[in-house]
Amino acid sequence: MKRAALSALLVPVLLSGCYRVEKPAATSGPVTAPITRGDGRTLRVFIWSEYIDPDLVTAFEKENGVRVVLDTFESNEAMLAKLQGGGAQYDIAVPSNYVVQTMVRAGLLQPLEKSRLPNLKNIAPGFLNAPYDPGNRYSVPYQYAATGLAYNRERYVPQDTWAEIFGPDDTRTFVLLDDPREVIGAALKYLGFSANTTDVAQLRQARDLLRGVVAKKGFQGFDGGPGTRNKLLARQIDLGQIYVGDLLIATEEDENVQVLLPRQGTTISMDTLVVLRRSPNPDLAHRFIDYLLDADNGAQLSNYTYYATPNAAAQPLLDDFLKDIPALNPPAAWLTDGRLDFIGELPTGRPQRLYDRIWTELKSR
Amino acid sequence: MIRRTHPALSVWAWLVYAFLYLPIIVLVVFSFNDSRFGATWAGFTTKWYGVLFARTDVREALTNTLTVAVVSTLISTVLGTLVGLGLWRYTLRFRTALTGLLVLPIVIPDVVMGVSLLMFYAFVRSGLERLGWTFDNGFWTVLLAHVTFQISYVALTVRSRLAGYGPELEEAARDLGATGLRSFTHVVLPLALPGVLAGALLAFTLSLDDFVVTYFTSGSGFNTLPVLIYTNVKRGVTPDINALSALLVLVTVVAIVAANALLRPRRQP
Repeated sequence: MKRAALSALLVPVLLSGCYRVEKPAATSGPVTAPITRGDGRTLRVFIWSEYIDPDLVTAFEKENGVRVVLDTFESNEAMLAKLQGGGAQYDIAVPSNYVVQTMVRAGLLQPLEKSRLPNLKNIAPGFLNAPYDPGNRYSVPYQYAATGLAYNRERYVPQDTWAEIFGPDDTRTFVLLDDPREVIGAALKYLGFSANTTDVAQLRQARDLLRGVVAKKGFQGFDGGPGTRNKLLARQIDLGQIYVGDLLIATEEDENVQVLLPRQGTTISMDTLVVLRRSPNPDLAHRFIDYLLDADNGAQLSNYTYYATPNAAAQPLLDDFLKDIPALNPPAAWLTDGRLDFIGELPTGRPQRLYDRIWTELKSR
Repeated sequence: MIRRTHPALSVWAWLVYAFLYLPIIVLVVFSFNDSRFGATWAGFTTKWYGVLFARTDVREALTNTLTVAVVSTLISTVLGTLVGLGLWRYTLRFRTALTGLLVLPIVIPDVVMGVSLLMFYAFVRSGLERLGWTFDNGFWTVLLAHVTFQISYVALTVRSRLAGYGPELEEAARDLGATGLRSFTHVVLPLALPGVLAGALLAFTLSLDDFVVTYFTSGSGFNTLPVLIYTNVKRGVTPDINALSALLVLVTVVAIVAANALLRPRRQP
């Protein structure tokens, strides 16, 4: 009796979160969304924190009479886990380039309809058709970060070479990024190899080099962007490996902190815009992406985040301050002469295990 | 004779406390720092608290956090108290196994719990979809997830509160003519109440602080404060997040102190 009363009480409570599925309106495109509840009025975007100018979002909301919900994630892995669980219905996500293929294979993305993205023409050709997504079937470039060498010029001005860290000199204090692909990648670039190499002999060379580097007196450990930035502001270290954008934001507080790109070349990681397969509002998602690809808006994004824009049309519209920073705008030739490597996905198997082993060894010291 | 603690031991104790609490104190102090990056001290300011309260996402997350915490605490306190009383009062056949099941949500890593709930919801959703119904993860899924781990804490505090008493108290009440309900409300419940309240406060604090389980079970557009803080920290802590963390620490400390006060055994006259 009582039990029945209790369940009678609980059931409506639990069901009040449910709703009836409306049959999807016939959507164009090769993928029919399995679930559609899009009323075309709310766009849900899954993005890194502080990675979009809120004013741009507000303007889009006003222009289209819609609401944009921004949810943030803190790592590509956490984002993937949540999307694969299928719990959250987002329209757009902002994965880094090396996660795009993983998401495609997991069936999380829907192909883009290029006809709805006329502003795609604004993107510099060097950033289109990249190895992580040939033909840009699923992703368009959003903003990117090269990895550079940061310093505080009141304390020490380095040469534009990785030798500052990887060379024999043992008098400088420095930190490395807390990221296996960035650290091993930088060592590989210093040695003149690709940051995505699967050549075991090259990887062994990088390993031997890095063993010596972390044994240096000046090695102050591995750190993320914010930590390195704070140490440079406090003049605690001479050099730090850092994403250019993470450092540039600190110039607001102290213009003596600077960043450069080593002449051997470096790694870049591109964050991309993708439309999720389960997106309730694919139309609106395309409209928002095209809006972000606009020249003015692209410039406004970078002026806000201090990350580099792949948007060629936006380049001249950047704030003067940003235009003058070479590390933010690597020479166009670098894109084609192999000096800038997108951090790529590694094939599973021996090379990947070797990357893992090198990293474990370095971290356990 | 009990000897006084050796002075070296109390020095050691203070060092341990300093080690535990200095980072939190630094965090609180730096929430008043007039520098965006917090690396160096740039003067005292309370502006970050102003910035904080001007943020709509923070206000929204605060509302969500408190709503989930209050409602889930209410549900789990009722259910957990019933479980605790049941374990105390009845000799059950699988008592050890049941107690073990109760401890499980406490010892299981959060991430396992979060992911398994995420998958469970996906499973339920796919079943419902076949019937033409669906739901989004959000308030309800987070609420249920919180209740699942809170019940254990409430049940165990209630049970340990009653552990010293035998069933004879209730029997005596019945002998004196009390009905079942009356002996429950006048004898058992008052005895259990400190445990119930302490369990409720513990549950409330846990709900307030939980990140991992909430992250995995919440859907789009539904954030709680811990989720908001954690996802903001990756790109560098902005001082308004320091201020927010300081406030969260404050609320947690108050709740814990209150729980301790309630748990302290009261001497019966």
